[in-house]
Amino acid sequence: MSVSNMLENWSKFRHMHPVDDAPYTEYKWAMSIDLDACSGCNACSVACYAENNLAVVGKEKYNAGQEMHWMRIERYWDEDGREFPDQGAQFIPMMCQHCEAAPCETVCPVGATNHTADGLNSQVYNRCIGSRYCSANCPFKVRYFNWYDYPTTNNVWPDEMTQQLNPDVTVRGKGVMEKCTFCVQRLERAKNNARTEGRLVHDGEVQTACQQACPTSAISFGNLVEPESKVAKQWAHQQVELAAKDAQAKDEQEGGSDLRGYRIFEELRAYPSVMYLERVRESAI
Amino acid sequence: MIENSFDRRDFLKVLGWGGAAVTLSGCGFTSVQDGVETVVSYVEPPEYAIPGISVYFNSTCAQCDAGCNITGRLREGRVLKLEGNTSSTINYGKMCGLGQAGVQAHYNPDRVREPMLRGGEVLAWDKALGMINDKLSGVKGDEIAFLTGSVSGHVKVLLQNYLEALGTKNHYAYEAVAPSVVRAANKKAYGVEMPRLRLDKAKVVVSFGADFLGAWVSPVNFSQQYGKFRKAGDTGRGVLVQIESKMTLTGANADRWIAIRPGTEGILALGIIHALGAAGLSLPADVAAVSKAYDAARVTKDTGVSAEQIEKLAALLKERSPSLVIAGSAAEGYVHGSQNAAAINLLNSVLGNIGKTIEAPTNVPFPQVAVTTGNRSSVQALNDSMANGKVKVLFSYGANPVFTTPTALKFKENLSKVGFKVVFAHYLDETTQEADLVLPLDSALEDWGTSVPEYQGESAQLSIQQPLMEKLHANTRGVGDILLALLKQRRANEYKDYEDFYSYLRNAVVKNKSALGSAGEDDDTFWTGALSKGLVYFNGSKGSLSAKSSAAGIVLPAPAEEDAAYPLHLIPAVTANLRDGRHANLPWLQESPDPMTTIVWDSWVELHPKTAAKLGIVEGDIIEVTSRSGSIKAQAYLFPGIHPDAVSMPLGNGHVAMGRWAKDVGVNAFGILDQVVDKETGELAFNETRVKISKTGKRVIVVKDEGFIGGSQAGNKIAVRASTDEVELSGEV
Ligand code: SF4
Ligand code: SF4
Ligand code: SF4
Repeated sequence: MSVSNMLENWSKFRHMHPVDDAPYTEYKWAMSIDLDACSGCNACSVACYAENNLAVVGKEKYNAGQEMHWMRIERYWDEDGREFPDQGAQFIPMMCQHCEAAPCETVCPVGATNHTADGLNSQVYNRCIGSRYCSANCPFKVRYFNWYDYPTTNNVWPDEMTQQLNPDVTVRGKGVMEKCTFCVQRLERAKNNARTEGRLVHDGEVQTACQQACPTSAISFGNLVEPESKVAKQWAHQQVELAAKDAQAKDEQEGGSDLRGYRIFEELRAYPSVMYLERVRESAI
Repeated sequence: MIENSFDRRDFLKVLGWGGAAVTLSGCGFTSVQDGVETVVSYVEPPEYAIPGISVYFNSTCAQCDAGCNITGRLREGRVLKLEGNTSSTINYGKMCGLGQAGVQAHYNPDRVREPMLRGGEVLAWDKALGMINDKLSGVKGDEIAFLTGSVSGHVKVLLQNYLEALGTKNHYAYEAVAPSVVRAANKKAYGVEMPRLRLDKAKVVVSFGADFLGAWVSPVNFSQQYGKFRKAGDTGRGVLVQIESKMTLTGANADRWIAIRPGTEGILALGIIHALGAAGLSLPADVAAVSKAYDAARVTKDTGVSAEQIEKLAALLKERSPSLVIAGSAAEGYVHGSQNAAAINLLNSVLGNIGKTIEAPTNVPFPQVAVTTGNRSSVQALNDSMANGKVKVLFSYGANPVFTTPTALKFKENLSKVGFKVVFAHYLDETTQEADLVLPLDSALEDWGTSVPEYQGESAQLSIQQPLMEKLHANTRGVGDILLALLKQRRANEYKDYEDFYSYLRNAVVKNKSALGSAGEDDDTFWTGALSKGLVYFNGSKGSLSAKSSAAGIVLPAPAEEDAAYPLHLIPAVTANLRDGRHANLPWLQESPDPMTTIVWDSWVELHPKTAAKLGIVEGDIIEVTSRSGSIKAQAYLFPGIHPDAVSMPLGNGHVAMGRWAKDVGVNAFGILDQVVDKETGELAFNETRVKISKTGKRVIVVKDEGFIGGSQAGNKIAVRASTDEVELSGEV
């Protein structure tokens, strides 16, 4: 794409998905996470390591903020000065939110991160030059950079451990940015299978690795285009719209509504593809 | 023939390295292209190994005793990932992080690969087995002991037969962090050691320190139920109240987390009964008599829990039935642990929960294969025998007592008095290092076996463990095969028909197919079906509970006196990932943050900010924790979810051996525990150790996942919470 073409047709290239005149037709992958069910157990995170060939960096590099956990569980405490956190902690699984108007995408000088036709924020490893602008611009801080060449680093994948690597997923080398892909390798396989049979992927036919492991079934994943999918129903029930022009139904009511669905940093208008359901605490105790 | 020059193992190696080589050099020149390696394709590929296509085999997770049913994904003959088996009623297709890391136990580069003598000299299997035979000659039966973890299934059958052949009854089943006091209390109260707990049917769950979402009994089963419990459904959203001195993962998910003075759990239970009586619930006479003394004023004084809180809790329990009360590890870890657990169980019978949310498990019709659960008193008994020189030959499998027993027990010293010690090992861990003979084991993903988990799903099942791939190392062996070989030394005739453990196992299972619900099927169909399902159900009768909870005999001591020299209670924490330390060499687990503190790759001491302020301690201070039995140093972490009279340290790290990822990471809190036991069961009282804390003057940066502002959302709406009166849950998808 020439620069002049890009400048002239900027508004066409820089649109949020889905644009009204070009909505998603077959797939729009999305997630919903019920924070009332999530126990903060980290099983999803370990499952992601297993599925996506994530490097274990060790204590020293972890300390330098170089860990690679695409899925992390954040733990927050109430901040009202009570002696004990007597309503427990607040856990939230955090990974790439696959923003529809992704702040990371617009700043990549080489277009290594961009939007796919099925609504993923994708990362093209062999196009990435390691500028790390995307990471700086991501409001959720879910991008992880390969500061080292992990495949050749001692004790990352020694000896037999290489045999565990998932052949459907690249092992990333030094200088490349990576992040949650919604397990794109699983999605591609499911879509291919469906295409061969001349149909679309059924709801529940494909699961992300985190969703599959999750012991409390807190994570749902599926196709928003299909109104009967669990995710679409959840989003609809919570009245969360993918590209809300101004505010979500929940935020329009004074003091919130009795709905639980929300997206993080809605006000930034990145339009995430992940909806969270508020954690609930009993008022009678 | 291709097999002659190129066997499957080599083929796997080439594929493995080929795969790695491609990734190393990114785009372009692989070692295959460079001619350093060659890729050779199958002439006749085995039908299950189509390059590029995954195949799936069912098996059983061996990472903990919950025994979840799993499905392994294989490509080109290598196991890549484990998932839950969706037809299992133990884990319903789900898995925990510890289970996920099972592949790292299998591919672990620090596994023991050859039979070895002390000092590392390698020897052949026939020499090793011959050596055992020699050493056993002239030794009397009762001078032989066998130490294991929990065992069940056909390995247990062979083990029992071997012990019988040796003429010994000395089987010590040891689990360092098992709920053994609660089991005994349950047996008394309900007639079974481990009833089925129906969280999914309960409207309120009150757990006295049972970390059922983290590390307690069958966490994936409970987590599945918990997911349903939290949904509005027909009965409304379930309410969880957790009572403990140190917040566990389960506590962090409670609607109300109640910090209690360590050791006073039983008092609070009786206090709740008293409050229920006052609120109009009719109490049996004996219960009323005992709980009479536990009025709110006294209970508040003893436990530190406010009268208002007790009243609210009683009101909730009275209004919402059925409920479920669980006695957990935090409550059982005291000298009066049995009494605590009995008082808590009594609450269930007062509330009428027995039979509703506490159900009888299905009977396992074959006691030979039913689980022998491990406990802590067994290792104390073994230790006494060793100290008195009564053990000449010791076998050890699935336990690491040198690491998991308090130093005060002097286990290591007493172990050296045993003339000949054989350890069946995955790693050269602390106990294996003391062995005279080390026998290398197959990984759980290479071995055959069956297991009957203690906590069963909807009906009793025999879970099948089958190899998910070929052995990685030529000279490791399955535990069943080793036992069979040892048995053949004694009872050659009886076992001559069994070439290996597989043939024994197949025969034993197939012989009983009618009791496994497949009377009419032919043997092959039945066996293949069992392997492909990964489990078979017993034709077991539904068991029954004998609810005989009574208040008689419950005697709770007054709260422990202040101890001026050692003012703080030490609460060792069993974390979901590291448990008793056997998984410390799995890098995914070391790098997976502790959910509560988000700390990685280390040990730490949790202190309440108030306690820390009093002692002048800030995060990262290296502090010395001293008990009457020893002292260790670790980094301080200020943690709001702990009673100010207590400090907590995680178990599992602090290995001095085992492997590259475990060695020299953190400190071992088992070591400084006082050897104090529960009066009734003789089980080590985990939470009885008192400590004092002193600063060392050193400070480190705590390596953790949370940011520098800790658990603060800094005014952002990231993780949002609502109370039940603000949201409408019915009708949710
Ligand atoms: S969450 Fe971050 S990385 Fe993911 S699409 Fe949004 S801005 Fe990009
Ligand atoms: S696995 Fe499920 S319950 Fe556990 S932290 Fe992840 S989302 Fe939460
Ligand atoms: S709970 Fe235990 S058996 Fe189940 S997946 Fe986790 S480690 Fe394996």
